[in-house]
Amino acid sequence: MQKTGIVCKGLLFLVVVCLLTGCWDRKELEDRSYVIGLGIDKSEHKGEIKVTMLLANPEVGSMQGGGGSTEKPREVISFDVNDFIAAKGTANAIISRKISYEFLRIIIVSEAYAKEKRFVNTIMDTQMDKEIRQNTYLAVSKENASDYFLENKPKMETRPHKYFQYMVDHGIENGMIPDSTLFRYFKTLERGTDLYLAMYTTAKKDKNPKSRTEDEYMAGEVNASGELDDTQFIGSAVFKNGVMINKLSGRETRIVNILDDTTDIKDILVDFPNPFSNKERNFAARIMKRENNKVKMNLKRNKPQIIITIPLKVEIMTNPSMVVFASEKNRRIIKQRIISELKVLNEKFFRKSQQELKGVPYPLPLYARRYFLTIQEFEKFNWGKSFLKADIIVKPEVEIIDYGKQPTKPLKVGG
Amino acid sequence: MVLQQRKLGIREYVSISILMAGAKATEDTPTMLYKGVQNAAWMIPILAAGIFFIPFLLLNKTLLLYQNKDLFSVIVKLLGKYIGTCVCLLIFLISSIGISFDTRTYTNIVRTFYFPTTPTFVIYAILMAVCAYGAKKGIHHIGSVSYLIIFYFVIFFCIALMLSAQSSSIRAMFPILGPGPFKIIKDSVRGLSLFADFFLLTMIIPFIRSRKEVRKGTWISYLFITFQLSVAVLVYICLFDTSLGTIGYPFHTLIRFISLGSYLPNVEIIFFVIWILSAFIRFTVFLYINGMMFGHIFKIKDIEYLIPALAMIYLLIGSMPESSIEIAQSKLVVIAAVGPVFTIISVILWLAAVLRGEFKHAKNRNSM
Repeated sequence: MQKTGIVCKGLLFLVVVCLLTGCWDRKELEDRSYVIGLGIDKSEHKGEIKVTMLLANPEVGSMQGGGGSTEKPREVISFDVNDFIAAKGTANAIISRKISYEFLRIIIVSEAYAKEKRFVNTIMDTQMDKEIRQNTYLAVSKENASDYFLENKPKMETRPHKYFQYMVDHGIENGMIPDSTLFRYFKTLERGTDLYLAMYTTAKKDKNPKSRTEDEYMAGEVNASGELDDTQFIGSAVFKNGVMINKLSGRETRIVNILDDTTDIKDILVDFPNPFSNKERNFAARIMKRENNKVKMNLKRNKPQIIITIPLKVEIMTNPSMVVFASEKNRRIIKQRIISELKVLNEKFFRKSQQELKGVPYPLPLYARRYFLTIQEFEKFNWGKSFLKADIIVKPEVEIIDYGKQPTKPLKVGG
Repeated sequence: MVLQQRKLGIREYVSISILMAGAKATEDTPTMLYKGVQNAAWMIPILAAGIFFIPFLLLNKTLLLYQNKDLFSVIVKLLGKYIGTCVCLLIFLISSIGISFDTRTYTNIVRTFYFPTTPTFVIYAILMAVCAYGAKKGIHHIGSVSYLIIFYFVIFFCIALMLSAQSSSIRAMFPILGPGPFKIIKDSVRGLSLFADFFLLTMIIPFIRSRKEVRKGTWISYLFITFQLSVAVLVYICLFDTSLGTIGYPFHTLIRFISLGSYLPNVEIIFFVIWILSAFIRFTVFLYINGMMFGHIFKIKDIEYLIPALAMIYLLIGSMPESSIEIAQSKLVVIAAVGPVFTIISVILWLAAVLRGEFKHAKNRNSM
């Protein structure tokens, strides 16, 4: 009797094992093709979009220590469809495996399509497909997204998912590109009070780019030469109500990233004008933001006043003028210079956002909500209009934590 | 047979009630609250707990007068055979509809997020089969299992909420009063349904070791649930801000969004396993209580044999609505009815007990 019981339980156990395969949702790794990048372009046909899929080959790089497959690490296909959900089926006419968006890391929209009103409707589909995660990045490319994926041939990181992950992560750490996830896009769209920034990228270098200071570039303007991939991630595209309206340079994007407490920027390397001499080179400094900004608002007045205090820690990295920082006076001069420089930059940026962008490209209105008791009052205040006439004062609080090694002037030969 | 006679201790009782009521934070309830009062939604659990506190206290006082009697026996005793049975039938019907729609909601969650191509009916049938099997095992087994997983549930729930903190902003909770105090109070009355599970849980009082443990356990879980629901809703508000209104199941969207660093980006499956276990417990208890109710009304002793049949019926009722939108609409009706009905029944029971002088009798009995 007992034996029968054991046998029965064993059989039941075996039946349960069958359930582990997931019934209808059984997935074979070998049978699937993962889309890493999705490009969206205008189509020549009315009402359609041109979808480009960058598919990764899971076999490449999966084996440790050589002996891996000799297959190509990626495939790129473009075609015209109604939407990119049904496109998964169409793509199977070309790709042998089942298309999946589960590992989608970046959606690239061409600048031309991002500026169209239809774009909002198109991108909304990402909320419908549960395979697409909300932490997928949204980027805007200068050229067509289909060309972008073709041109983009990374030399070092040939596996596309790693390439985009590292490229985006380090860009965000440097503050050169915004942390533009789909999650933030929809949050901003729903909130309807501020603007959204998407990273700006291109795979084509400009013909004769001007040389500028370290972060004033847009994507494609950095004049790099050598044996490299021409793709550049710098600057950002500004979206108002879900549609692209403008662009910000790398420097302006950095300012926004410093102002915005919700991005995870790390250390920012910048050059500051030399306060000791006009002829010599600029100072290099490392800016670190460890604390959150303090925002005070006075919204009751006719002309609202917003005071933003930015606490920053600065490390001086170079000393081209060979200044002696042992003296109190020199330390004060450089500190004053950094503060005034930051203040000017920030206030210039706010003027641009009030006059050109007509909105603030980071969630500043969230700070304003505290001053209202109910939602109705906040709506009556009308942030969108009030911000345009607001008086914005930026107060950088700079603490120089390191002046670097004290240089000694080299002795001159025969001097 | 020693196991059968052993009664539930306070820890099993508390785990059962936390798993049963706490699961509310992981389905579409937060979204429903948000749609009503926007960013003041986190106040609703606290206010509703405050409103429900008095009737629930009265109910507990009344029930604790009688040793070893569950809710239905007390109702029949206090309200008489006919009215009492009618009230019992009403409660049974409400909770039957509740369990049907709730199980369907959970099935929808599983289907939309984790098994998109599996037919709804298969997932639903498996869910009900597991719950029926569990409920057939009896309340003692349920108690032990819930004690086993309660810690995982609480810890993983906390981890999930904490991981989301890095991309959320506390400022989203302002303006502090949301759509205004009147609207909040109005929605708090509707939010009474959050605590309907506690009302149903009074059915298992006879299985618990002592009256003291019932009283202590009830209040511990009551406070915990109030706190948990409120914090969970607040976290969702801070993370999703205004888009919470458009997200059907915030907990599952949250666990798909969070990541453990860049090396472990997609971790939702860990949370999913714990969540599905807690869902099984929730519906097992629910099913068991419904079985008890049915057995009580129709004088059936061996409720173990009833449970599979009931599960089948709930499966059929739950399969009737075609889409999740219809369920959400019907759920709204049930939710609007549940809170006030249960509150009124609690107060009526207490009044009946006072009028019949049961409290005096009890005092006399104690003093003797």
